[in-house]
Order: sequence, then structure tokens, then C-alpha cells
Amino acid sequence: MSSTFMGLETARRGMMAQQSALYTTGQNVSNASTPGYSRQRVNFVQTEAYPSIGMNREQIPGQMGTGVKAGSIQRVREGFLDVQYRGENNKLGYWQSQADSLGKMESIMNEPSDSGLANTMDQFWQSLQDLSVDATNSGARSVVRQRGEAVADTFNYLSNSLSSIQKDQKSQIDVTVKEANSVLNQLNKINEQIGGVEPNGYLPNDLYDERDRLIDQLSSLVNVKVDYVKTGGNSDPKVEGKAVIKLVDDNGSELGTLLSDSNYKELKVNYDGVSNTVKTIKLGDPGEMDETKDTSLDFSQMNSSGKLKGLIESYGYEKKDVTDPTKTVAAGTYNDMLGELDRLAFTFANEFNKVHEDGFSPNEISNKTSEKIDFFSDSGNVTISQSGFASRIQISKDIKDSLDNIATAEGGIDPLTNLPRDPANATLGDATNVSALANVINEKLNYKTNEKSDFRNYYQNVIGAMGVMSQEATRLTQNSTSLQQAVDEKRQSVSSVSLDEEMTNMIQFQQAYNASARMITMQDELLDKIINGMGTGGR
Amino acid sequence: MRITQSMLASNSLRNLSDSYLKMGKLQNQLSTGKKITKPSDDPVVAMKGMFYRSDLTSVDQYKRNLSELHLWMDNSEAGMDQANSGLQRVRELVIEGQNGTLSPEDRKAIAVEVGQLKQDLVKTANTQVAGRYIYHGTDVMNPPVEQEEPPVVATNITDPTQLKLINNYQVEVSKGVNLKANVNPGNVFSQDLFNVVGDIQTALETNNTSGLDGSLGKLDKVMDTMSAERADLGARSNRLDMVEDRLGQQDILANQVLSDNEDASIEKVIMDMTTQESVHRAALSVGSKIIQPTLMDFLR
Repeated sequence: MSSTFMGLETARRGMMAQQSALYTTGQNVSNASTPGYSRQRVNFVQTEAYPSIGMNREQIPGQMGTGVKAGSIQRVREGFLDVQYRGENNKLGYWQSQADSLGKMESIMNEPSDSGLANTMDQFWQSLQDLSVDATNSGARSVVRQRGEAVADTFNYLSNSLSSIQKDQKSQIDVTVKEANSVLNQLNKINEQIGGVEPNGYLPNDLYDERDRLIDQLSSLVNVKVDYVKTGGNSDPKVEGKAVIKLVDDNGSELGTLLSDSNYKELKVNYDGVSNTVKTIKLGDPGEMDETKDTSLDFSQMNSSGKLKGLIESYGYEKKDVTDPTKTVAAGTYNDMLGELDRLAFTFANEFNKVHEDGFSPNEISNKTSEKIDFFSDSGNVTISQSGFASRIQISKDIKDSLDNIATAEGGIDPLTNLPRDPANATLGDATNVSALANVINEKLNYKTNEKSDFRNYYQNVIGAMGVMSQEATRLTQNSTSLQQAVDEKRQSVSSVSLDEEMTNMIQFQQAYNASARMITMQDELLDKIINGMGTGGR
Repeated sequence: MRITQSMLASNSLRNLSDSYLKMGKLQNQLSTGKKITKPSDDPVVAMKGMFYRSDLTSVDQYKRNLSELHLWMDNSEAGMDQANSGLQRVRELVIEGQNGTLSPEDRKAIAVEVGQLKQDLVKTANTQVAGRYIYHGTDVMNPPVEQEEPPVVATNITDPTQLKLINNYQVEVSKGVNLKANVNPGNVFSQDLFNVVGDIQTALETNNTSGLDGSLGKLDKVMDTMSAERADLGARSNRLDMVEDRLGQQDILANQVLSDNEDASIEKVIMDMTTQESVHRAALSVGSKIIQPTLMDFLR
């Protein structure tokens, strides 16, 4: 026979359970706009029915329900969508940093415009043409020198600006690595806390949310794969366990463990490649560099996207030379562009100087001596060297000293006699050499190995290639943004708080609470009848 | 699919910012008048743009070079015209001087006129345009007639190998095409010319009529040489006109191609802008409608 007060107890349980559901509703509503918050749900479970099954159970018909309890409070979330989201977030991180760095490069190169290198070169060519029609005009000479200086300045400006952005990128890499390491450190702490809570039978929903938020953040920096290991003790079957995070490449194969269930590794970027580029990325214990214990990953082989890879690829990394695999070269968007500028400046200046040396300047004509005068020079160096030349190219001292050192008249070897021409025979009005100098710009030179093209064409190709790369990066950024947003939408669809829904639930729980309370009143009336109304028959 | 307020809000925000982005792009096109502002907007247009700009610069430059050619050719022509009439007059005076009825005094008077004409020829030969002696080939800083009485021309005009070096004032008129600006100094104001005129003057002064006999033939030869050079200059001048016409057409074409390639069609951009504006308005109004009512507004 069940207890007299059993109904009271059932109603009380009902009130308590509904109350906890109302509290959870309150929690959901409060966190409706908290980033990374997943809505929570109270899993109601019926309490054990009476009588329970046993040898000496009471022989009454049927099992009577004894009410409800709040079994567990669980967050509503779809783990599979997290995996998808992180995959897209990863690509987005990569393309965003690529698009960003290429965008900066485009604004520095500033083409097509009236102030870029192409225009400066056109103006230089114009000034040479102006001098060629009137070789004795000192005004035209001075314009040639000024425009030549503008060409050198433009090269310097482009090269230096690119280098300074490249330096910025290096610090961005360091900041990104710090961010990743800090996230890993926090994740490790959360893992520890989760390991302390779960064995007691609780679901640490807030910690799960925080952990997922951090993993999302990490996934934009490097490509990761997340596994979970169960914690022991008296865990609820619904617990998620501790996260184990692995660094993976884009095919999904593991490159190393970033976070295990007990500790974490730090990412380290080593600038040990040629000309301080990135050669290796290491995974090691926090705070110490230990060559023997650190896992070393060769960057050029590391096919793992994310913001970090995007940054390193634009900053510069070491890779094997395509033509000669025994050699290593610096690659990367900025290194490549700096290299192209060097190549342009070096090839052009060399050829220009060669033609200039051959010609006779007014000074040579009046002194009746033949000299070799350079037009462009390499600051600080006697001979011109290619590496970094774009940042050092300038007008030679001779030209700076005297406008009459600009060689206008034809010199060199006379093809008929095969003898060097005599400056004594040269005239000031002869502008053959200036025409030849102007022609150097239009001449097909070996700007690239085995591929001759003129200055303008080659530069146009360089800019075109940059434009295509930047366009692609922008497009893929947009693509991965919309994919990431689509997945995030699905995730939100599962996990985000709907106020309408919460209000509906609130009414439901409130009414259930009220009804349970009403049950108590009814029980009270029943008991009143028993206690005060029964056994008074005949009175 | 379950949709929540926060999703609606963030979607609406994203649509608005997309719409702003599009309007920003159109606004940029309107204010610059250009289709693109950076190579990634359209790499092909950017590359072509650079190419056409260089093209246009060179056409402009070649047009500028032409004016220099005009300067040289027109002045050379004028000088030669003047020299030719001078020589014509000398020829008349020779014929007049050969007249037997003249007295030695009359011949002296004619000799004075011939002397004046000779001086004029020297001055013409030493014509300077913008500080340059145009009848001395590339040796523009030195006068072609070094000594005026009796006139002696510079050695680099009389020496054929040196003459070859200076007879070469070239101006580039289009890629790889050069036009000679000067007239051959050896054919125009040669030593022969001054010698012939000088001899005529001496013969007249000394009343040596027999000395005048061969002069007419020599004078005709010198004039013929000059006429031939003048014809050559005329031919070159014609070619210059043709080149000028062509460059003019190229200029128009280059401008047109550049504009076709880069310039935004304003009508189209304004249309797009107006469309985008109405889309934006709709997005704003939808946003304000979506966010307002919730169940809470009805729960009292």
C-alpha cells in the first residue's frame, strides 16, 4: 500500500523539476546573445515507479508512477557541424590572410595608375626622346636626369615598402603563434577542469561551450583534428570527455599532437631558412627549445592551411629550387615580388649602362677622350649585384656631378672599320646614343631565363600575375566565407537560443508548476477530508 | 530548419554590409569614372590598361618629336629658298656682266651686289634655329661657314668621311622609324658654291669678262645640286605629313581603346547604383520588420 503522503511527494517533485526547467529557461534567455553559447535543455526523467520489482514487493495492481526529476542538463549541439565549421574556418583563415597581404601589395604597386613604375618608366622614355630630338638642350638633359632619378626612387620606394610590409608580416606570424599557444594553454586548463567535474556525474556545459569556442578560434589559425577521450569515475554517459587536438594536413593525416589529455605542445616558427625565411615549424614543450624533443616539420612540405600558413606563404619560406633540387631558394609572395623588382631593375640598369658607356658625352667630346660612364649605380657597391638591387638602385655619381656626363653621341665600335670610334669626331648634336638608350626600354632583354621580353611587357606580366593571384584569393575568401557562414547557420539553427521557443517553454513549465502546486492543494483537501471529516459518523 | 532571432539579426546585418560593399564599389566607379581601381578587380583590364597607357604615351611623344622635325625642315626649306633666289640673282648679274657694252665701273658696281649676295648666302648658311646651326648636320654648335671673307666652310663638310658622320640628324617618329631632319651640308652650302660666287665677284671686280665664261656652267651645277637637295627635303617633308596623319589617327585610336578598356559606362553604373539603392532600402526595411515583434510582445 502506498504512503498517505505519496501524492504530495509526487506533486512536490513535479514543482521542483519544473522549477529547474524554468531556471534553465532563464539561463537560455540570459545567454541569448552570448557568443558560443549553446542552448540547454533539462532532460526530465521519471522517478522509479512504486512498487519496485522484487521478491517481497507489495502485491498491488500495477506500478504507480512517483513523479519526475531533472535527470541532467544537456546542451543542444551537433558535433558533426563543428567539424565542418572548423574545416571551412581553416580555409577562410588561410585565404583571408592571403587576400589581405596581396591587397596590401596591390596598393603599394599602384597599377594601373599615373604614378606607378610603368608610368615613371614611360616618362623616363619620354625624356630620353625629348633629348634625342635636341641633344644639345641642357634643359632636356636635366629632365633625363630627374626622370632617371624618379625611376630609381620608384624602385627604391616599391622595394622598401614591400620589405616593411614583409616585416609586419613577420610580427603578425609571431602574434599568431602566440595566439595559438595561448589558446592551447587555455584549452589545456579547460581539459583539466573538465577532468575534475565529469567524474562526479555532472555535465560541465559552460566549459564545453568555452572549449568549443577556443577550438573554433584555433581552427582558423592551423588545421586541427579533435578527438575526445572519456574521463573515468562516475561519469554521466552524455559527457564529452577531454579533447585531444592534433595538427593535421589538408588530407587529414596527422603531423603532431598539439593538445593531449594531460598536457599541450607549443608551436614555434623558426626563421632559419635562406635570407631569414621560415624553414621549419616545431612542436615542443611550452617555454623551452629542445632540439632533441621538438617535433620538426619542414614548412615547404607542410600542407596544412590556416592563417599561419597564409602568413608564412606571403612572408617567405625556404623551398627547393625547381631547376636545381640540390639548392634551396626563398619563396613566398613578397619575396617573389621583391625578386621580380630586383630582376627588372638589375637587367634594365645593366643594359642601360652598357649602352651608356659606349656613347660619348659632351665632356668626353670636349676632352676628346673615351670614358666608361655608368648612368645607374648600386649604392655602396662598385659593381651592380642583383639581390636587393631594387632597394639600392640610384643615379651614378658621375651623372649627379655633371649633366654633360650623359652620353648622347654615338660611340662604341664602328661596324665598318671594326675600330673604336673617336670622340674627337663626335658632334654635340648627334643623338644616336640617346635613341639607343630610349630603345633599351623597348628592347627584348633576358629579364627571365630563356624568355626574352621588353621592360613594359615583363612588368605587365608581373602585375597581371599579381592581379590574378589577388583576385583568386579574394574570390576564395568570399567562397570560404559563405561556406563558413552556411555551416555556422546550420550550427546556429541547432544551438542558438530562440526567444519565442523559450517563452513557449516558460509558459509550459510555469503551467506545469502551477498544476503541480494545484495538486498539493487537492491533496490537502483530500487529507482534510480524511483527518477532519472521517470517523465522525453519527456525531 | 529552426530559425532564431539571433540568426535573423546576423543575416540581416550581413545582407546590409554586403549591400554597402556593392554600393561602395559602384560609388568608387562613379567618382573615378574607371571600371577598376586595382589589378585584382580585373587582371586582364589592368594589364591591357598598362599596355595602352604606354602606347598612348609613345604616340604623344612621337607627335612631340614631329614638331622638332617641322622646325628643322621648314627652316631648312626657307633658307634654301632664300639662297636659291640669291643665286638666281647672281646668275642674272653674270649674264648682265657679260654684256660687252658695260664699262669697268659698271662691272664693279655689279661686283658689289654679288658681294652682298655672297654675304647673304654666308648668313643663310649660318642660320641658327633655337641656338643650333641647322645647315651643319649634327655639328649644331659650330657654324658651317667658319670664315666669312672669303667664305671657308668647316672641314667636316669638305671631308667626305667626316661629312658622312655629321649628315645624320635623326628623329624617331614611330617605333624603330627614324626620319632625317637635316639637309646634306655638302650639297647645300658647299665650298664650291662660295668659290663660284667668289670667282664671279673677283672676275667682275677685275673686269675680267673671260673669267666669267665658265662661271655660268659652274653656277648652274651648284644650283642643280641645291635643287636636288631641296627636292629630297620636299619628299621627306611629304613623308613627315603622312606620318603626322597616321600618328593623329593612332592617337584617337589609342585614346578610344584606353577608354573602352578602363572607363566605366556611367549610364550603366548609375542604373546599377539605383537598383542597388532600392535593394538596400528593402534590406533595411526588412531588417527593421524582422527584429521587432517577438512572442514577448504578446505575452502579458
